[in-house]
Amino acid sequence: MNNDDGKQDIQKYTVYLDAVSKTFHTSHFLYKEEETGKRSLIKKKEACAADRITFGIMPGEIMGLLGPNGAGKTTTVKMISGLVKPDSGTVYVNGMNVEKKRKQVLSQIGVVLEGTRTSIWPLTPLENLYYYGNLRNIRGKILKERTQQLIDFIGLTDKKDVEVRKLSRGQKQKLAICIALIADPKIILLDEPTTGLDVQSSRSIKDKVLELTRKYGRSVLVTTHDMHVAQELCDRIGIINKGKLITCRPTSELLELFSKQIFSLRLDRNLAEGDLDSLAPHITLLETVSAEDGSTITVQVPESYFERSEALYLLFETLRRKKYQLRSIQQKQVNLEYVFLQLTGEKPMLNGIHSEEQE
Amino acid sequence: MLGFLLIMKAEIIRGWIITRRYWFRTLTGLIIGYGMLMILIAGFFYSQPAIEKGINQLDDPTRATNYILGFIIGLFAFGVIGMFTQGIQGMAQTGVLEQLCLSPYGLVTNFLARAVVASVTTIFYSALMVYFVVLSVGGKLYFDPVPVIVLLTLSFINLLGFGFMVGGLVLVFKQVGQLTIIVRMALFALAIFAREEFLQQGWLVSAFMHVLPITDASICLKYVLVSGQRVSSGEFMSVFFHPCFYWLCASCIIWTLIGISLFKIMENYSRYKGTLGIY
Repeated sequence: MNNDDGKQDIQKYTVYLDAVSKTFHTSHFLYKEEETGKRSLIKKKEACAADRITFGIMPGEIMGLLGPNGAGKTTTVKMISGLVKPDSGTVYVNGMNVEKKRKQVLSQIGVVLEGTRTSIWPLTPLENLYYYGNLRNIRGKILKERTQQLIDFIGLTDKKDVEVRKLSRGQKQKLAICIALIADPKIILLDEPTTGLDVQSSRSIKDKVLELTRKYGRSVLVTTHDMHVAQELCDRIGIINKGKLITCRPTSELLELFSKQIFSLRLDRNLAEGDLDSLAPHITLLETVSAEDGSTITVQVPESYFERSEALYLLFETLRRKKYQLRSIQQKQVNLEYVFLQLTGEKPMLNGIHSEEQE
Repeated sequence: MLGFLLIMKAEIIRGWIITRRYWFRTLTGLIIGYGMLMILIAGFFYSQPAIEKGINQLDDPTRATNYILGFIIGLFAFGVIGMFTQGIQGMAQTGVLEQLCLSPYGLVTNFLARAVVASVTTIFYSALMVYFVVLSVGGKLYFDPVPVIVLLTLSFINLLGFGFMVGGLVLVFKQVGQLTIIVRMALFALAIFAREEFLQQGWLVSAFMHVLPITDASICLKYVLVSGQRVSSGEFMSVFFHPCFYWLCASCIIWTLIGISLFKIMENYSRYKGTLGIY
C-alpha cells in the first residue's frame, strides 16, 4: 500500500489494517507432551494470532469480527488500539500509523476490552466518568455535560450515584461503554460486548451500538463469537480463524452467497440410498427428511452461477431418470452460523438453515 | 505537564472519595497501623538476646525514635515500590492497566502522577503515626521544614526510579511481582537499620550501601529529624553539607534515569510480547 492509490484507500477508511501479522512466542518450563508423555525442560511454542490480516472500516459502519475462541479477534482489537505491537504490517487509524502516532490515535478511539473490570468499583458511574475524563484530557464544563449525556444515553441515570460494585453485570458493561465514549471518539472498538449478559442487557447494548452509528456516525468494530450479535448488528462481517481472515463481506452478501447454494426439494417418495451418489462432488446431500407422503431433501450446490446451473440440471435429470416426481423446490435462507461453519471448514449443521421461508 | 496535573487531580479526587466513603476503614487502618508499629517496636527491642539490654534501649528515647522513624521510612519505601509491583499486578488483573495504557498521556506519566498522590497520602498518614508513636515512647523529633521537605522529595524520587525499574520488569514478567516482596522487605529492613556507621565498613560495603535506593535517604532523614542536624560533637551542621546528601542526589539522578528508561523499554517489549494486560 505504498502507492498513491493505496494512500487514498487508507484515507477513506477510519481504520485500516494492512497485512498485519502477529505471532506470540511462549516458553513452558518442565513441559510434558500430552501425546507422547515426553518431558522437556523448556518448550517453546508459537501461536499465530494474526496472519496478514487486511481490512478496513468505513465511517459510520459497524464491522464485525467473528471467530471462535483464540482466533485472534482480541489481538486484532489490541493491535488497532496500540496495546499489542504487530510483527509486520501497519495499522492506520484515520490515516495515521498507530505505531508512529500513538498519542494522536488514542485520542480518537474508545475501547471496551472483554473480561476486564475497566471501571473503579468503589466509585459511582458519575465519578468513574469524571476520573477517566481527566485521564483523557476532558475537563471542566465539557466533561460535566458529556458525562450527563452519556449517562442518559446509555440508560444509567437512576444508577449514576450508586457504587459500581453494586451494579449488575449489564450495567457495568454499559458503564464500560460510557468510559470508552468519554473522549467522544470517532472509532469504537468493542471486544465481545455482550458476552455473559442476559437477553435484555444484550439487546439494550446492541441498540445503543446501532444508535451510535446510525445517529452519531461512529465507526464501530465488534468482535464476537455470537452469531446472532454479528448478524443483527453488523453491516459487514469478517470471519477470522486461526489468525487468518477467511472472508470480509457485507452481512447480507455473506448470507446471500450461501443462500444461493442451498436448495430444498420435496419428492413424491422417499429417496433411496445412493440415488444421488453419482452427482458428487457437484451436489452434496445435506439432509433427508422422510414422511408418509414423500420426502424432503436438502442439497448444496456449487457457488458459481454456471456450475450451480449445471449441477441443478444434473440433479433434476437424475431425479427424472430415477422416476422421482418433484413436488416443489425452494431456495433456503441460511444463517450466519451455517456460513461460519462452512467457511471455517467445520461440518455444517443443518439447524443453521432457516426452515420457515416461503415456497 | 498538563496531563500530569490532570491525572494528579483525578487521583486526588479518587483517593479523597474512597477515604471519605470508607472512612471507617481509613480510621481503623490508622489505629491498626499505630498498634502494629508499637508492637513491632516493642518486639524488635525485646527480641534482643538480653532483655535487660532491650529495656535499656527502650529507655533511650533517641534510639527508639531513630528506629521508629526507620520503620516509617521503611513503610514508605515498601508502599512506593509496592505500587509498582503488586500495584501493576492488580491493575493487570482488573483491566485498569490497559485503560491507563489507552490514555494519551502514556504509562510513565500516569504512574508518576499516581505515585506522587499515593506518596503524599502515605507521608501524611505516616507523619500522624510517627507523631503518636514518638509521643508514646517519649521521644523527640526536630522538625525543620525545608530540609524535611527536600529530603522527603529526594527520597521519593529515589524510590520512584527504583520502582520504575522493578515495575518495568513486572510489566513483562507479571510473576516477578511475587518475588519483589523480598526486595520490598529488604528495603524496609535497610530503612530501619541504615546508620552512618554502616558506611565505614570498607569501600565495597560503603559503595554497595550508597547504591541501594533508601540508605542515604534514611540516614539523612534520621540526621534531620532525630539528631536535629547535629554531629556527634554536638555542633550544628546542615544536612545539605552532609556527604550522604550528595550521595542521595546522585542516587536520585541515576535511579530515575535507569528506572524510567528501563520502564519504557519494558513497556515497549510488553506490547510486543502482548503481556500488558495479561496476568
